[in-house]
Amino acid sequence: MTTPIEIIDSEDPLANPWRVALVRPDGRPAVHETDERYVMTFPHLILREIIMFQIVVIALSLAAILFNAPLESIANPVETPNPAKAPWYFLGLQELLHYFPPVVAGVVLPGLVGICLVVIPYWRVNLEGAPLWATPSRWKAPTIAASVILLSILFVAFRCWPIVIPTVIIGVAMFAASWARAGSRWQWLWGVTLPEWIMTWFVVIAVVLTVIGTFFRGPGWMWVWPWMDAPRG
Amino acid sequence: MPELEGMFGPEVEEETPTRRDFFTQIGVGACAVAAVASGIVTLDYLEPKVLFEPPTTYVAGSPLDFAPGVVVPNQEKKAFVIGGANGIYALSAVCTHLGCITRYKSDESAIACPCHGSRFDLEGNVTHGPAPRPLPWLDVSQDANGNLVVDTGIVIAHGKVFRP
Amino acid sequence: MTVGEWVRNTSVYRSVIRHGIAPTNRNRSLIIFENLFLHVHPVKVREKTLRFTHTFWLGGITLATTIILVATGILLMFYYHPSVPQAYRDMKELQYVVDNGVFLRNLHRWAAHLMVFSAFLHMLRVFYHRAYRPPRQFNWVVGVVLLLLTLLLSYTGYLLPWDQLAFWGVSVGTNMAKQAPLVGERVRFFLLGGNIVSENALLRFYVLHCVVLPVALLLLISVHIWRVRKDGGVQGPPDDERRTP
Repeated sequence: MTTPIEIIDSEDPLANPWRVALVRPDGRPAVHETDERYVMTFPHLILREIIMFQIVVIALSLAAILFNAPLESIANPVETPNPAKAPWYFLGLQELLHYFPPVVAGVVLPGLVGICLVVIPYWRVNLEGAPLWATPSRWKAPTIAASVILLSILFVAFRCWPIVIPTVIIGVAMFAASWARAGSRWQWLWGVTLPEWIMTWFVVIAVVLTVIGTFFRGPGWMWVWPWMDAPRG
Repeated sequence: MPELEGMFGPEVEEETPTRRDFFTQIGVGACAVAAVASGIVTLDYLEPKVLFEPPTTYVAGSPLDFAPGVVVPNQEKKAFVIGGANGIYALSAVCTHLGCITRYKSDESAIACPCHGSRFDLEGNVTHGPAPRPLPWLDVSQDANGNLVVDTGIVIAHGKVFRP
Repeated sequence: MTVGEWVRNTSVYRSVIRHGIAPTNRNRSLIIFENLFLHVHPVKVREKTLRFTHTFWLGGITLATTIILVATGILLMFYYHPSVPQAYRDMKELQYVVDNGVFLRNLHRWAAHLMVFSAFLHMLRVFYHRAYRPPRQFNWVVGVVLLLLTLLLSYTGYLLPWDQLAFWGVSVGTNMAKQAPLVGERVRFFLLGGNIVSENALLRFYVLHCVVLPVALLLLISVHIWRVRKDGGVQGPPDDERRTP
């Protein structure tokens, strides 16, 4: 006894996910078939995993033989080393502290980044995957331009050039993408989605700040060139 | 959605809570209370009750040593004792930014933080950099021998100098 | 009959590994699903996902560093006392007295750096391949928490050598926590077990680094990998849905 599956059409399955199809208890959901090739996990995947693990172990062992982990003199609570640097993955944050009040650089900005990362898969714009300029809208270009300019002004007010410059560059690139022509070598730029633009902006800033904090900051958190001898302060 | 009605068995009517519902709620509630209470007790356990931290007061020396312009840092207690034009005062050496120990630069007569480049004048005011507040002024008093005693645990009003 | 074949035919070996040794697909399947650790894998995988550019092996590298860190970390614990100034002396002992002590410490340190780096790159790979989309939303959130745990593990471990680098790195970091409104001061007090970075702080960081955070990390890694399987396996780049102008 089979009853035909009743399909309810929907314009947008993301907006109305419960309206796509109704599967009756006595019906069977059709499984999406693919013509993909499958291989046995053993040996194809397992051997690759073992090789990957061995490469990691060998590379790290070589590093451990060649380079010693840093160890300075014993902790002295009354003598602050100059400069006092956190581990490299926090140097971006420490560099931010140079520009912003601690509550902004230490709590507000990292908190915002954390919240943004968590909510990524729950925001519709991230799920659509449509290129930024694919859907024409009267408000899109002015909104983006205003956001870029406002953010730039905000960071200029704090003299935070390592954020201003990537913001301006990404902003210009977003508009350049709308003119990228099919067939030209910049065509891929056109396909970039809004969330990808934002993530790229974040990554560029994180990398720039971390590199500056790691290599370009000397005693007193003053700017130094890494290829010159830092003055001892 | 009328077409769904009755498909998955008869609708369950709203009923008055049964004895089973009542006991379920009591049980869940008791577990929640126990979880919250044990969380609070654990937090209380984790709070140190006695701290073996160094004392906050120290003897800085005779008031006569502090003529105007003299700056004496105390590394261990993280404080500066400074002879000002109107009297003697003590400044905390802990940077108000992120707690690094600031240093006195005698050649520039300024106080500088090595961590993020904050700079202060000799009254503790921020002259440059990310520090959000001036360096706190610390309590200065005299002991029985007439020596200056600085208490790094007591912050006093900015500009309140000590006149022996 | 080789030694290997003889071993694999003994009744003891057959009690542990039940399936035969003949290279048949049935035995290859049994290798996967009769093994507690391997059965996070399906018996067959999509051939496409074996391509290097589908994952760059970043999640796998992160897991590999985790295994190395657990192994070297346990070995280092045998020589480490979380007290002042013994902690620093233990570093010197590892460096100059203990056989291979300096190698293990270096390995632990560099593996920790690699773990932070590869976890971050793994997150970017997943983002740009849009692999966070349903049904993988929750696994993305688990991944963000794992990245946070990785940073916390690295940070708590940073204090343990009790050298200048450790002390001031942690002083600056915990002063940042103090800036959080309302709770910041209390959080710092609980974390350090006092108002200053002292022996209490060293012990607390030690317990967090060696017990609390690793247990949380291993549990969440299990959830993370299990969810990868449950959500349809490793996903490479999305099918090209980008339209050209």
